[in-house]
Amino acid sequence: MLRIDLASRVPVYEQIANGLRAELVSGKFSPGEKLPTVRTLAINLGVHHNTVAEAYRQLANEGWLELKRHHGAIVRERDQPEAGPDTMERFTRPLRELVAKGLADGLSPSSLAREMIETARGLEGRTSP
Amino acid sequence: MIHQSIETQVIIAATIGGIVILNAAILWFMPRLTRPDLYFAVTVPPGFPDEPEGKLILGRYRRELLLGSVLVLIVFVVGIILLGIRVAPAGSMIQAVAGFIVFYRARTRVLPHAVQPTMIREAELHPYNRIIPGGWIAASGPFVLSAFCAAYVWIHGSSPARGLIVYFLSVTVSLAGLTLLLYGLAHWVRPMYSGGPERAREMQFRRTVATVILGAEYYITIQASWLVLTPRHQGLISLGLLPLALIFALVVVIALARLGQGGSRLATPQRSSTASSVPVGDRTPDRYWKLGVFYFNPDDSAIVVEKRFGLGYSLNFARPTTWFIMALLLLAPLVPILAHLTQFLAKRGA
Repeated sequence: MLRIDLASRVPVYEQIANGLRAELVSGKFSPGEKLPTVRTLAINLGVHHNTVAEAYRQLANEGWLELKRHHGAIVRERDQPEAGPDTMERFTRPLRELVAKGLADGLSPSSLAREMIETARGLEGRTSP
Repeated sequence: MIHQSIETQVIIAATIGGIVILNAAILWFMPRLTRPDLYFAVTVPPGFPDEPEGKLILGRYRRELLLGSVLVLIVFVVGIILLGIRVAPAGSMIQAVAGFIVFYRARTRVLPHAVQPTMIREAELHPYNRIIPGGWIAASGPFVLSAFCAAYVWIHGSSPARGLIVYFLSVTVSLAGLTLLLYGLAHWVRPMYSGGPERAREMQFRRTVATVILGAEYYITIQASWLVLTPRHQGLISLGLLPLALIFALVVVIALARLGQGGSRLATPQRSSTASSVPVGDRTPDRYWKLGVFYFNPDDSAIVVEKRFGLGYSLNFARPTTWFIMALLLLAPLVPILAHLTQFLAKRGA
């Protein structure tokens, strides 16, 4: 299930790409499986089809999808990339902001840590060697 | 000018009068048959229709509707007495205008109570069953029947060739328009809920609507074929089919009213996907509903959307496909008129 919030400040195409990536990382789609067509997903989410197409392009650039004309988006077998020196930095910055927001909203550090570990374990299936 | 017998005139007047009364009855119940957080095509907090203010608006709407319908009926009867039966079709048109004015006035009273619907959208990523009953085999039936009938009449030569072509062209165009609508219902409309019992009810409602469209296609084909195969009794058959069409419309209205818009009449107060205090509405923002009845949203890829006032579906007028469907549906009755016009002009030229 893909969920987006049209009132969010995060661009819709990014929300779609993030949601789809989470599904792909967790292994809910096997290589060779088809994702809904751009038009179907755009209709179901109530957005313009260019927005969905942009999200699919982003995932295709990351190596998750293969986009074929008239055949839609097909899930690819993706090799685990080598983490570069700036990978952790790119990851830490938004994480710090998110954790700060959680703490500001009254969540405890331990509950945040537990949630993050559980989320990572839930997504581990597809990415672990 | 064609002169009709008194009996024929009475049948025509009674049928159109019946349509006026049926429309008034539908409009009377309609505000309670839409989703609970939509009221006169405006997104409102859940439960607003049952609050004193909501009931007050509904009461005033119904009083105005009653008054308007009685006035229309009086104008209709007086018009027939003074000007003859030819003005009878105007009755349902006047009522449509009066009904819209009454609805629009009620909508204006609801607008100050409008709230922002949820902006959360969900989509099922795995494929699900489409809803065309009987699949494409059933959907192609009217075209096959129509072609068989055309071939039969062509071979036996019981009707003038030109008239026959025009007749079947008109039927085929209207069938194509309805088939596009059927396809649109399966592929171009957004589910309000992506899972749970709400989705099941919504899908049941859609299957019913699809069955109605398919039924209408078969009705049009059988009627057209019947009229072409028995040209001598055309007038009699047409009159006999009018009450049949009315009965069909009545059955459809009752079936759809029972299931409600997306099954919302049967829905439990618990929502599956969003916070219960936030209205879900129909997942379309209010500002894109022009006059409360025309949906125009260029940023929405959906071509078919739920009607906000009433049961069934409407089209997104910001999409070119919508205009193509509209052109097909409008072209069907125009085909015979254009054919007669070109024939008339050709004769004058000669």
